[in-house]
Amino acid sequence: MRAKLIPGTGLLWLSTALALLAGGELRAQAADMKFQAFLLWGTDNSKPPEGKTYKPIAVDIRQKLKELPIKWTNWFEVNRKDFAVTQGVVSEVAMSEKCQLNVRKLGDSEVEVTLIGKGKEVVKRKQSLPKGEMLVLGGNAPNSTAWLVVLKRIE
Amino acid sequence: MDYKAQLKLQALLDGELPEGEASAVAQWVAQDREAAALLEELRNTRGALAGFDAEVRLPESREFFWSKVERGIQRLETPAPKLARVSYFSLVRRLLVPASAVAVVLIAGLMLIPPAGPTGHTIATEMETALADSGAFTYRDYSAGATLVWLSYPAEDEAAEIDEMGTFD
Repeated sequence: MRAKLIPGTGLLWLSTALALLAGGELRAQAADMKFQAFLLWGTDNSKPPEGKTYKPIAVDIRQKLKELPIKWTNWFEVNRKDFAVTQGVVSEVAMSEKCQLNVRKLGDSEVEVTLIGKGKEVVKRKQSLPKGEMLVLGGNAPNSTAWLVVLKRIE
Repeated sequence: MDYKAQLKLQALLDGELPEGEASAVAQWVAQDREAAALLEELRNTRGALAGFDAEVRLPESREFFWSKVERGIQRLETPAPKLARVSYFSLVRRLLVPASAVAVVLIAGLMLIPPAGPTGHTIATEMETALADSGAFTYRDYSAGATLVWLSYPAEDEAAEIDEMGTFD
């Protein structure tokens, strides 16, 4: 009796664990991640530079930027890209002629983000990015302005 | 007088003898003084006890009373069931059933529920940052659900020559 029950119970345990793990893994790998990437220009002026038709940024992005320790008061949208990332495929998103964002899906919510400026890798970062959260990469720009590349996961 | 003869006298007194035998015993008593004396004594004794017999009435019918007695006897005669010996393995197996249920629920919970951060938001775990920029810093705001990586790139002199990091071209 003992010899029959112990393998039976163990088998049940193993099957349950494997089924849950497989289900979770499949669920994690099946869906694509959807993102919005923004190239922003920050200034303390209320208007974009002359000759540029930059749009004001979305309200939700502005609210989140206010929470971050960035001193600039006004942000303008230079470019916006919507894209999806599939498991195992690196999505290359050109934010401008010389700025590119590479995003690779690593897991259910984990991504590897690489920022390339003028053909050189500026930063490569792996992190969890759940739905609704965003990664902001930025730096100073001439004339006391700033640039930001915002990657927001929308799905 | 033997014991059998004494019983005959008792039976005569109780009226339990057939008619023929009763007359024979009565005739014997009439001729035997010892038998007559014993019969008289028995009669006196019965007369004396008759007044002291307390009438006991059962609260239930006779059949029911005796059936209760019978059931009581049967109960006493029935051997008490021996306690089944519980093996150690059975005890472990009993514990395994609820433990299995709890474990399955926990595993399912761990698989299905994303971890929560201090403000209820999911935690954006920073796993690794490979920076070509040594002057960069990282800031994480859990309430806003945002991570800021501030770079010193491009360098001041480089930035002066170009438009930002070349981004806006």
